[in-house]
Amino acid sequence: MTLRILLGVLLTLVIVAALGLPMVQHPQHWYEFPSIPGLEEKARIIFFHVPTAWLSVMAFITSMIYGIRYLRRKDPMDDLTSASAAGLGLLFCVLATVTGAIWAKFNWGSYWNWDPRETSIFVLLLIYGAYFSLRAAVEVEEKRATLSSVYSIIAAVTVPFFVFIMPRIMTGLHPGAKGDPDGAGPVIEFKMSLNMRVVFFSSLIAFTLLFLWMLSLRVRTARLEYHHQPKG
Amino acid sequence: MDFLAQHQLYIVLIIAVGIWFGLYIYLFRLDGRLKKLERDMHREQH
Repeated sequence: MTLRILLGVLLTLVIVAALGLPMVQHPQHWYEFPSIPGLEEKARIIFFHVPTAWLSVMAFITSMIYGIRYLRRKDPMDDLTSASAAGLGLLFCVLATVTGAIWAKFNWGSYWNWDPRETSIFVLLLIYGAYFSLRAAVEVEEKRATLSSVYSIIAAVTVPFFVFIMPRIMTGLHPGAKGDPDGAGPVIEFKMSLNMRVVFFSSLIAFTLLFLWMLSLRVRTARLEYHHQPKG
Repeated sequence: MDFLAQHQLYIVLIIAVGIWFGLYIYLFRLDGRLKKLERDMHREQH
């Protein structure tokens, strides 16, 4: 209960700070964000877009961990948790893609540019879309659980490559791409000030708590469904 | 009204907070309902 109330207050404060605090050329007060040339107000996306991408990675890794646990213990609850985490991961991955595409429209001129970062997230969406196709295609419960557990492990192995490695070894427009030292963008100098960092890391914590709560709700719902489905 | 017309970001802020409150209330109520169902299931089993 305490964590849920903390989450409610924290995320509300994050939204208010991220969207409400003024952005000025030369900040004089603690509550003013510096205006970043080339980004201006559009820089505020970092408080929401990065946490959603971070959560999708966390969810895919969680899915893999429970996939491994299923293969070791053959407990159907582990399979339910693995599938629930993958579902939430896919949801947050879609949110990261949509928020990124909207940002790209206003910063790069079009919703989709096939930038290395966009291509890699698109491939990730395909990989995890295929995970659910696989689950839907197999009717025998144990076989479905085993196959999807193995698939979740293989899929999660590709996640660090697509999220952290590929976009950094190829040149692109996205901040953090190759030729972009110390977080500075190839088209803009992007370094977060202290107050931006505080809001950013608070947002990461709040989104992580939200993910854990949503995962617990999803797993409990799946468990109830599992116990009430007709056997045989 | 003039204030909101000049500071459109606050409209975005109000909408974002509204969506978050809606989601939060939904999750809170879902949590409560699940707790009730789990209690009922536990009672059925014992």
